[in-house]
Amino acid sequence: MDWNLLFSSYSNVFLDPTTLLMTLLGAAGGVLLGAIPGMTATMGVALLIPFSFGMDLIPSIGLLLGIYCGGMYGGSISAILIHAPGTPSAAATLLDGYPMAQKGEAGRALSVAMFSSFCGGVIGALIMTFLSPLVAKVAMKFTSAEMLMLAVFGLSVIISISGKSIAKGLISAFFGMLLCTIGLDPTYSKQRFTFSVTSLKGGLSFIPVLIGLFAVAEVIAGVERIIDGRESAQAKSNEKITRVLPDGKTIRTIIPNIFTGGIIGTFIGAIPGAGGDIAVFVSYAFNKGTSKHPEKWGTGIPNGVAATESANNGCSGGAMIPLLSLGVPGDSVTAILLGAFIMKGIQPGPMMYVSELPTVYKVFAALMLANLAMLLVGCAGVRIFAKIVSLEKRMLYPIILVVSLLGAFSINKNVFDIGVCVFFGVIGWLMNKYEFPLSPILLALILGPMCEQNFVRFMDLNQGNFSAILNYPIAIGFFVVAIGVVIFSLINQKKINDREAANLGSFPQE
Amino acid sequence: MNRERKCLLLEPKKTQTKAFSNMIVSILLLVFEVWAWIQSNSIKTAKNAAVQPSTFPRIMILGMGIFTVILLVQSVIKLAGMKADDPLAAKAESLNFIKNKGVLAALFVIALCALYVYQFKNLGYVVVSFLLCAIIMWLIGLRKPVKLILISLLVPLGMWLVFYKFLTVNIPMGILQPLRDLVDMI
Repeated sequence: MDWNLLFSSYSNVFLDPTTLLMTLLGAAGGVLLGAIPGMTATMGVALLIPFSFGMDLIPSIGLLLGIYCGGMYGGSISAILIHAPGTPSAAATLLDGYPMAQKGEAGRALSVAMFSSFCGGVIGALIMTFLSPLVAKVAMKFTSAEMLMLAVFGLSVIISISGKSIAKGLISAFFGMLLCTIGLDPTYSKQRFTFSVTSLKGGLSFIPVLIGLFAVAEVIAGVERIIDGRESAQAKSNEKITRVLPDGKTIRTIIPNIFTGGIIGTFIGAIPGAGGDIAVFVSYAFNKGTSKHPEKWGTGIPNGVAATESANNGCSGGAMIPLLSLGVPGDSVTAILLGAFIMKGIQPGPMMYVSELPTVYKVFAALMLANLAMLLVGCAGVRIFAKIVSLEKRMLYPIILVVSLLGAFSINKNVFDIGVCVFFGVIGWLMNKYEFPLSPILLALILGPMCEQNFVRFMDLNQGNFSAILNYPIAIGFFVVAIGVVIFSLINQKKINDREAANLGSFPQE
Repeated sequence: MNRERKCLLLEPKKTQTKAFSNMIVSILLLVFEVWAWIQSNSIKTAKNAAVQPSTFPRIMILGMGIFTVILLVQSVIKLAGMKADDPLAAKAESLNFIKNKGVLAALFVIALCALYVYQFKNLGYVVVSFLLCAIIMWLIGLRKPVKLILISLLVPLGMWLVFYKFLTVNIPMGILQPLRDLVDMI
């Protein structure tokens, strides 16, 4: 590694006022976009890419990376405050973030999310700087067999997020996978469960389902609780935010989670086709599994927020690895970034490390700067964001509902999606009522298409002989790890149930 | 303890426990799975395919079915030998909207949302959202008309402006179409 060149590239980027301004603007826009349910970092980057046409390469990459990193953090804001993840990558943040907000710790949850996002992003950027050629080499060996087993490995964390009843968690997961099969079959274009509804041919859109299951279901349940008298309509959080960054004690507690989350996120982000949405669940399950008190996970602890937020921002660095070293985008945002590079006359790939090495180092620096900009924007915004939960519930619930339904519409500009959102709101409400966990559906919706497509491709390539998977050592490795995760999670869940049973004593009957 | 257990077994309110609701839910899920399996028969086959388009959905239905049966068996066993301190002996959530005003209100909100979807294009986002917001606020106890009207109007209007002007998402305005023309002119 050319240290002098690396140092001069970093100083060029950090001392260029245009790049600084553009990155900061991008981060602010990304945080705001990410916080709106239905608007993703991908949409933000796609929307703003025309504005970067007239700029030099590095300021425009800074702008786009700012949106990317800001959007990753922004998604956690609505997940924590209104139980609706702004982006799919923030889907696991609500597991502990929302309970923290309900306990009156919304500001603390936001600051933990922001700090973890920053640290995860920095870990990703550092790994990208030093290990990008090596990681890209491993990730690019992935064929349909490895991708299938990667999806199976991702699904193995379902038990960790299933709560008390593993059977209910698995029913939810299979239901989610079944939902993924609605629409045209991806390989042969045969209609499945479309019932002659044209809008169903394209399948169910992920975001309206997600908004319905979490935000709309929460509003319906909230109205029920208020009318029942179980919740006060005037209830509001009176949390006073004295600091925008977590205190020293909290930081000491969450550092291990941030570190593992950042590494998991970077590695998963480096695999083309796998992104932050998968990484957050894997990181959550890993950190919960290795925790001394797994029973506390899901009840509103900062560790849960740290594990997920560091993983999704770690992905931003990871996804840049195959983009720069092989010219293959790791996710949808980096696919758009690839377009931005090509527009500027630069073709990312192995040759870029030879002919455009200063540009490569400047991109590393721009990613680091984007994470710093996200931290600054986050610090400035924590108090403002936390004000949302200081609204009375009787005002907050209807507002959440109309904002969420608009978010569902905005994805495809289709009224049918609002119907889907409301339908899944009802499903989510019923599932919550009868204690079926919602997170496994989410994970299944993310991994289902990847699982099916690679399963079909693998079987077609091997003439229907599934045992040919034994010829793929990395795939077998993933499978063995998946089995290990299942066994470990089962033991862990038993421990949690035993501890809870010991604490319960006599259970109230009425 | 033994006496308590005996009493609970004879208790007619056993039908109100979580174990009983789990049993009913599993039966309903089994009905759904059978229906989904029958529906999967109508998926067309592909020629020379190693995996048919109906294979993956069927694996999922089967997986769902296996764990539904496990849940059913677990609930029946729990019901047969229920202990007072069992978490599944706790009272289950009800869906009885006649006895429970909360459930009735939730169903009313769902009906409102269905109407919202139905009228979204005709009346436009701002009008339907205003109505939905105002009715729910009134339902859950906001009795200050000025506050109610202002919030119900300004939130959808603000959201529409953000989405329309800054994010270039074209949202139906229905009867308020002239407002969009006005914004376009500005």
